[in-house]
Amino acid sequence: MEDDVFKQFREHSVAEFFKKNRQMLGFSGKVRSLTMIVHEFVTNGLDACEEAGILPELAVAIEELGKDHYRVTISDNGPGIPKSHLGKALGQMLAGTKFHRYIQQRGQQGIGAAACTMFSYITTGQSTKAITSHNGKKLTATISMDFKKNKPIIEVTGEEETEEHGLTVVSEYKDVRYERSNYGIFEYLRRTALANPHCSISLIEPNNEKTVFPRSIEVNPKRPFEIKPHPLGIKPHDLLEFTKHAVENKRISSFLQHTFARVSAAKVEELKGMLPEIDFNKRPDKMTWEEAEAIVGAIEKLKWIAPATDSLVPIGKEQVEASFRNIFNPEVLVITQRSPKVYRGGIPFSVEVGIAYGGGVAAANKRGEVMRFANKVPLLFDAGGCAITETIKTIDWKRYNIRNFDEEPIAVLVNVVSVHVPYTSAGKQALASEEDLMNEIKFAVMEASRGIQRFISGKKKANEIATKKKVVSRYIEQLSNDLASLTKRKPERIAKELREIIEEKYVDAKKEEIKPPEKPKENEGEKDE
Amino acid sequence: MSESTAMKKLEELGRGMVKQIDAGEGPTFETTLRTKSNTLYDEGYGCLRTGDKKETRKYLSVAQARTFMQTVAIAAKTKQFLAQNLHTSIRGLFYQLKFSLGENLDEDLFTEQSESNGLIEDLEVALKIKREDLHLTTDRKGFLAGNMKIRDKFGGEETIIDLAKQGRSGWSIPSDVDNGMEIESLDADYVLVVEKDALWQRLNEDKFWKEENCLLVTPKGQSTRGTRRLLRKLADKKLPVYCLMDCDAWGWYIYWTIKTGSMNLAYLGRDFAVPESRFIGVTMSDIKEFSFLDKLTIKAKDVDIKRAEEMMGYPWINRHKDWVRELKLVLKTKKKIEQDALQGQKLTFVGEYIKQKIENKEWLS
Repeated sequence: MEDDVFKQFREHSVAEFFKKNRQMLGFSGKVRSLTMIVHEFVTNGLDACEEAGILPELAVAIEELGKDHYRVTISDNGPGIPKSHLGKALGQMLAGTKFHRYIQQRGQQGIGAAACTMFSYITTGQSTKAITSHNGKKLTATISMDFKKNKPIIEVTGEEETEEHGLTVVSEYKDVRYERSNYGIFEYLRRTALANPHCSISLIEPNNEKTVFPRSIEVNPKRPFEIKPHPLGIKPHDLLEFTKHAVENKRISSFLQHTFARVSAAKVEELKGMLPEIDFNKRPDKMTWEEAEAIVGAIEKLKWIAPATDSLVPIGKEQVEASFRNIFNPEVLVITQRSPKVYRGGIPFSVEVGIAYGGGVAAANKRGEVMRFANKVPLLFDAGGCAITETIKTIDWKRYNIRNFDEEPIAVLVNVVSVHVPYTSAGKQALASEEDLMNEIKFAVMEASRGIQRFISGKKKANEIATKKKVVSRYIEQLSNDLASLTKRKPERIAKELREIIEEKYVDAKKEEIKPPEKPKENEGEKDE
Repeated sequence: MSESTAMKKLEELGRGMVKQIDAGEGPTFETTLRTKSNTLYDEGYGCLRTGDKKETRKYLSVAQARTFMQTVAIAAKTKQFLAQNLHTSIRGLFYQLKFSLGENLDEDLFTEQSESNGLIEDLEVALKIKREDLHLTTDRKGFLAGNMKIRDKFGGEETIIDLAKQGRSGWSIPSDVDNGMEIESLDADYVLVVEKDALWQRLNEDKFWKEENCLLVTPKGQSTRGTRRLLRKLADKKLPVYCLMDCDAWGWYIYWTIKTGSMNLAYLGRDFAVPESRFIGVTMSDIKEFSFLDKLTIKAKDVDIKRAEEMMGYPWINRHKDWVRELKLVLKTKKKIEQDALQGQKLTFVGEYIKQKIENKEWLS
């Protein structure tokens, strides 16, 4: 009996598990499921292009085949996938190499594309079709998977020579729905374009309407690079996980030094001093849970040099500005970029905030819009439980001349980049309420808000000046006529001169209207508290 | 002040502003403040006048743009009146300027006469001219009878008017006694000003001015600018001016306006004041002297009391002990006597009363 249960349990492959718990991958709700599917392929496409140094061009097409039944076609101009990797990429869960990399990445822990293949198969019984052009070869294949074994099943249907590169994935889904709501694909792509100004995205909706979110920057962003994790922020489980990959290190002491940043021989000696009961000379893969827990506990008691933070690549001030202008064309735009900080003492992150006000924001009928991003990926769902939303709620907008945030033409973009984004769940749609993170978000939003405040008060002033100008310009004609009849001067000449005087007097006022926000100062936010 | 001077001053005003505009500045208009705080009593001359506080109005000021434009509009319009040799009342001027500023501006140049009235006064002060010089007339109210002839140039004609031959109605004093009007001949010993038309008619019927060889004037209440200006001119001819008013603060204040000018029109200053005029009655003290008056007193009204209190506070009045005494009596007894009461016992008594007062020099000054 006992054996049976155990056997069954073992036969539950990862794929099988997720098949039964698909909401854990984000496949819950019809609209959300469809958005998640597009999200998987779009992030993969973007990553692939960037890695290959190609300016991304993505094309998404959604066809309605029946009630809650759609065909999704997504193409990128990336390097394509070689035949040998096709199965892993599209037909095997957790096959990615990204999982244990300490690098800022969009990724969904490699579940992504395979989960879609699975989702497609279990809702429609259809295989996913992939057309990949890689290294001069264009390959057409259908992919499905053996859930029990978490193994891809690939059937190549065509192979030809090509000069192109890229990947097109065609798959069908049921139990999903297309909607142009805040949770829909349109919004997802719009925000993706906003955070990724170097990419061009087109969308064909089920009603055949085509939208292009054009590229606003012609350069790929700097690539983030992998760093060693900092000892602070490591949990016992992580530590044990790392030991499995540390086959070249024979001892715990050398393993710690090689695996983590800022761990010097001197630091290991300190740890040894604190933990006399642990043998630092034993093989790292022999480390027990208790030992891992003790080491993590000791690490937390020590003082550490903060991790290097230059591995982070935010969207960038100019980039956010360009894409904001491109997509919103707001009346005023303030971008704040905070310098990288760490949370939990060891995980580098950085917050950037863009606030757009008026103009196109008003025209698009956006009021109090909060756009959340993590590593440039838009977060559309679970806003209520997200640290970004929570933090924005604590901002006293009235202080920034914004009377009612929810009713004003204001759009706030918050992008948190980190080598390890603290998501609340596997759905990866909300950030956990890490205090360091929330503080940084708050300071960044406040900093940008000050720029908006300056603009709004400047605008009020400019309005006043415009009104004044209007008042004094109002009587030019009458005054000129009367002065003319008192002096024999031509009224037109008097009027012209008066107009010039008024223009000159009120022209400076216009320049005062918008001042660029001052250079952000470190710790400025704290002073504001 | 002649009409041609007025014309020059208007043109000067315009030229000054155009000069400012040529220099790239917003045009300004300087005028003397006509506030109570800038009203002073000129002891040397014995009249009220405005002080030296100036006010500069700027066209480029939001608060002043409209009134600035309106002031210049009045200047331009009155220049036109002068050029055409036409006169109109300040109400006529208001209607001349009550027009829309244009289709795109939902606004009239003037909407109420109260707007233009004040601006006319501003122009008078700024240019140091009288509105009459700008061909703006005021309503006539005063009448005169006596041995005086007037040469009146009007409507292209010249007429000699004999003020001794105006019968029961008398000569109506025009609003402008300076332009187009001269005193042709004058044969009178003094001027008698009585507050009310009823009394003027009484004295006219009694041939008082003939017997006394005086000029009999009634302003019919508060004096118009024309009447005050004429009295000034007559005083300049060395005629004594005697005033007979109701025995209440209102009547007395009519006298004081003739004497020192009013605070409202303090800017007119000495051209409109007759400091040498004398007040012969009716006084509170008369009640004692003429016993019949005691029964003819009536209760003073609240406005009389209030005016009496105000007058007690005016430094140019409360420096006169006899006036303070009279005012105190009003405040104490709360009584008043109308000048008509002098006819109470005998219709013709009033003539005797006046003669007695002048003869015995029983007057307040």
